[in-house]
Amino acid sequence: MSSRPSSRLFVLVNEGVAVRKWDVVVVGAGHAGIEAAMVTARMGATVCIVTLSRDTIGQMPCNPAAGGIGKGHLIIELDALGGIQGWAADRSGIQFRRLNASRGPAVWGPRAQCDKERYSQLMRRLVARARNMTVIEGEAREIVIEKGRASGVRLASGEVIRGACVILTTGTFLGGVIHTGDDRQEGGRFGERPSVGLGKSLRGLGLELRRFKTGTPPRLHRRSIDYSKLETQEGDDNPRPFSWRTRSVVNRAVCWVGRTPEMIRDIIKENLDRSPLFSGRIDGVGPRYCPSIEDKIVRFPHHKEHTVFLEPETLNGPSMYVNGLSTSLPADIQELVVRAVPGFEEARFLRYGYAVEYDVVAPKQVGHDLQVSTVPGLYLAGQIMGTSGYEEAAALGFIAGTNAAASLLGAEGLRLGREQAYIGVLVDDLVNREHREPYRIFTSRAEHRLLLGVDSATERLMAEGVRLGLVPTGVFHVEQEKWERRRRVGLLLESSALSPNRLTREQFRASLGVELRNPTTWAGILRRQDIDDRQAAALAPGLGALSPEDRAIVVGQLRYSGYVERHSRERSRIERLRHIPIPGDFSYQAIIGLSREVLEEMERVRPKTLAEAERLAGITPAAMALIAGRLSAARRE
Amino acid sequence: MVKDSSSGLSSALSGGADTIVARATAAGACALAVIRVSGPETGRLARVLCPKIDMETPWRAAVVRLCDRSGGFLETAVAIPYRAPKSYTGEDMLELMVHGSPWIVDAVVGTMISAGARHANPGEFTRRAVANGKMDLVQAEAVNEVVHAETAWQARLAREQLHGALSREFGALKEELIVFLAEIEGSLDFEEQGAVVNQEVLRKAHEGCVSRIDALLDTTAVGVRVREGARVVIVGPPNSGKSTLFNALLARERAIVTAAPGTTRDVLEADLEIEGLPVILVDTAGLREAADLAEAEGIRRAEQEEARADVILALHAADEGGAPQSQEVGDRRLDIVSKVDLANQRMDGILAISCVTGEGLDRLREEIHRRVSEPMMSITAGVAVNARHANALVRAREYLEGVLLVPREVAALEIRSGMMVLDEVLGEVDDEDVLEAVFSAFCVGK
Repeated sequence: MSSRPSSRLFVLVNEGVAVRKWDVVVVGAGHAGIEAAMVTARMGATVCIVTLSRDTIGQMPCNPAAGGIGKGHLIIELDALGGIQGWAADRSGIQFRRLNASRGPAVWGPRAQCDKERYSQLMRRLVARARNMTVIEGEAREIVIEKGRASGVRLASGEVIRGACVILTTGTFLGGVIHTGDDRQEGGRFGERPSVGLGKSLRGLGLELRRFKTGTPPRLHRRSIDYSKLETQEGDDNPRPFSWRTRSVVNRAVCWVGRTPEMIRDIIKENLDRSPLFSGRIDGVGPRYCPSIEDKIVRFPHHKEHTVFLEPETLNGPSMYVNGLSTSLPADIQELVVRAVPGFEEARFLRYGYAVEYDVVAPKQVGHDLQVSTVPGLYLAGQIMGTSGYEEAAALGFIAGTNAAASLLGAEGLRLGREQAYIGVLVDDLVNREHREPYRIFTSRAEHRLLLGVDSATERLMAEGVRLGLVPTGVFHVEQEKWERRRRVGLLLESSALSPNRLTREQFRASLGVELRNPTTWAGILRRQDIDDRQAAALAPGLGALSPEDRAIVVGQLRYSGYVERHSRERSRIERLRHIPIPGDFSYQAIIGLSREVLEEMERVRPKTLAEAERLAGITPAAMALIAGRLSAARRE
Repeated sequence: MVKDSSSGLSSALSGGADTIVARATAAGACALAVIRVSGPETGRLARVLCPKIDMETPWRAAVVRLCDRSGGFLETAVAIPYRAPKSYTGEDMLELMVHGSPWIVDAVVGTMISAGARHANPGEFTRRAVANGKMDLVQAEAVNEVVHAETAWQARLAREQLHGALSREFGALKEELIVFLAEIEGSLDFEEQGAVVNQEVLRKAHEGCVSRIDALLDTTAVGVRVREGARVVIVGPPNSGKSTLFNALLARERAIVTAAPGTTRDVLEADLEIEGLPVILVDTAGLREAADLAEAEGIRRAEQEEARADVILALHAADEGGAPQSQEVGDRRLDIVSKVDLANQRMDGILAISCVTGEGLDRLREEIHRRVSEPMMSITAGVAVNARHANALVRAREYLEGVLLVPREVAALEIRSGMMVLDEVLGEVDDEDVLEAVFSAFCVGK
């Protein structure tokens, strides 16, 4: 069954049932599973992937795209750490765009339209060729527990796959049910059977499960569209790759933009009772940020039109993804709605949209290392944690895999802070907060957003990638040289004084269109919003020698600098406070304004330092401020 | 802003807190005293003191017999049981009304403590009310102000604040900031999906927030006037009868009065209530070329007082000509001709008084009342911020100052910092609030 025997494979026979042992067993081979398995294997542990079908490794079951604002940040960070999603998106990408390109570097959002078949093919090949890795087809039914630790999974066949750690990445397969109108079928993805027994096993371990829902739009045949009624959306003029492994990428495809007419409102309203979302057939909670078209019509009745993006699923294949028309209406109504859109009058359906309901583990039961707190050795990643999106899944898979492998190899695991990476924000939000809907990353979730731009990802994280043995030192030095060059130019601009003499004034008026009145520095000039960095490049010292990319980063960082500095001062103040010990008899009762929940948690745990207090569940920045204030008052007394 | 009381219920059920007891009325012998008990053990403690008490019928007064732990009769009392979360603290509570004998009160409290209660710390009942979400910090501040209100206006302001009028103002400001932030966040995270927000929308949102802050800050002066009293300062040349008027308004001989000019050297202050309004009446040294160092200092202080006065009573003695040369026109300054009993002529439009005959004093009181109370009438919803609130508002305003001129990702950071400052005043903000606002304002697709 295994694709390639592992160097540390044991084959035992126990009462006729085969028992085999690996370091880590990964259940699922989607974005989370692959990333978890790959990092584990590359760190030197043996891995066994258990998947329902070898053919569905690395699928893009929904949007044929990777990245975006926030999600793009995750890919770039993952790449700096040595993850593989960015590389696969580059290699399968057919159109590349940077969203928010006109804004500062902190909110640039790289996004790629991918050929989903190519993506999946790349992943399958990667997994097949990886050292230390085995793939087994089968359905994991039960978590095997030994001496209180997860020690493997039992398959539907009865076979036990043993591993010192188990990582569950079941995606939407755990108790998956697919809805199209009144039609209801068990399944994790279209045409694929769900995983049914595992949920029972998790409940048996005392884990709380909840029901989430997500959906996907119809797929239309490429040749059935009237493109003259749609606008084109081109890729960037200078497409940029996600990964340090990729030298360059090219745009090979365009996307199309259309708008829904007002009349679909009536079609949908008349048939709302046939949508499982509104007829009560779906109990799962869906994401607000990814509403179905029926959701949009109900929630925004005053909107006359909704934007629809038509995206090719592969470079040359027939399938087109209709972004913006996610729906679980019955097939006949889907046809009415879609064919009402100008350009789609003759549309031929390759697949109808559907909603899928699935079980997730309430993520508060999981620690920052993504290990289930009550079941040592059991890790979770991806949609089973209640997230949505390939990028969130991959990031969690990487963290779970790294920590599982590190725990076995005696190495230090990977825990990223909220001020260090969006991945840190993602993990922290998941394990510390209650979520009523699938969790997606947004840049607004990061309180340290200005520090977490894609431009600084390698600077923030690549050293960790080197430590884990996933990024070659040579690559690190190349990247390091880039950020150091930018820093040198930034310092040069800060220190180059400009005095408003006649010559300079005239020069400024002529080439930049601004009046230089007071003595300043080049940095001071470039901080102005009305200065175009391309025009300034010819005059400002050092700036002309930089690539347009680096120039935009340097100028963007200058514009952030005052705010970033104040922000870092605030941070270092908190950092100092973190090491302040909290006396054992410290009275939380004396602090006015603490909520009862915080108070009880503090009195129960009695953290020894503020840093420990900060890590407790439900602790808000405001609560930290109140405790810190009381603590420093007490120290003065 | 009274939050959902479910957190109070959960805390009462979880039994995390201990049970506290204290007398709620002032110390010393009096007709009645009230003793309060709060916490999860209230029911058990109540039955120790009074085995027959019916804790199952809350919020109803009953006459009960109180006994000590050995069963000895202590007192007949009126008892009101409360059940969480519908009580002041949000916990199970008991209020006992007993005769106000210090011995009886001590015996009841002592019995409770020997049965397992703890003596409450100062303000602990209110602190628990905050912790259990029964009130926020701003409301909690008002509890003390209600208790110590000495004038009708102080009582009114404190009562409004306790009932959440000021919290609602802060809540509305926070709401507006969340909407403002949501517009910006929407444009940063979802512009691709059509959440395009133009600068004009942001400018309006910004203006709304800033003007709300300014409106609240404008109540600062009134807050000080109500809480501490309006400063009514008597000024004028030496021997114009300032101290005589000071004494006449206070209706007692507070200041030394002599016929010699320059008798008052230092600044004198006294509290006064004029028809429910708290007033700080200030007597000052007469303004002239100083005869010595002490008088010079007195004159300097008089000028200081005049500068910070809410109302200036500028005296002009009738026997010295009584002709005011008003340098300042407006409601703050009131020119008065004093000692009219010594002069025959009257001047039209100028208030004339005599502390000897009492002529004009009632009208003067009316004038002071009008000038002090007018700005108070103008405050919205009977709210006025205190120094702590004002300090936070000023800081929040500083954060908002330049947000329209900086990149939007920076603006978002600044607005968040401003919101954090306001959170310290009220409570806490959850980022889900911002997201909720984002999603209710925009129709976003994937």
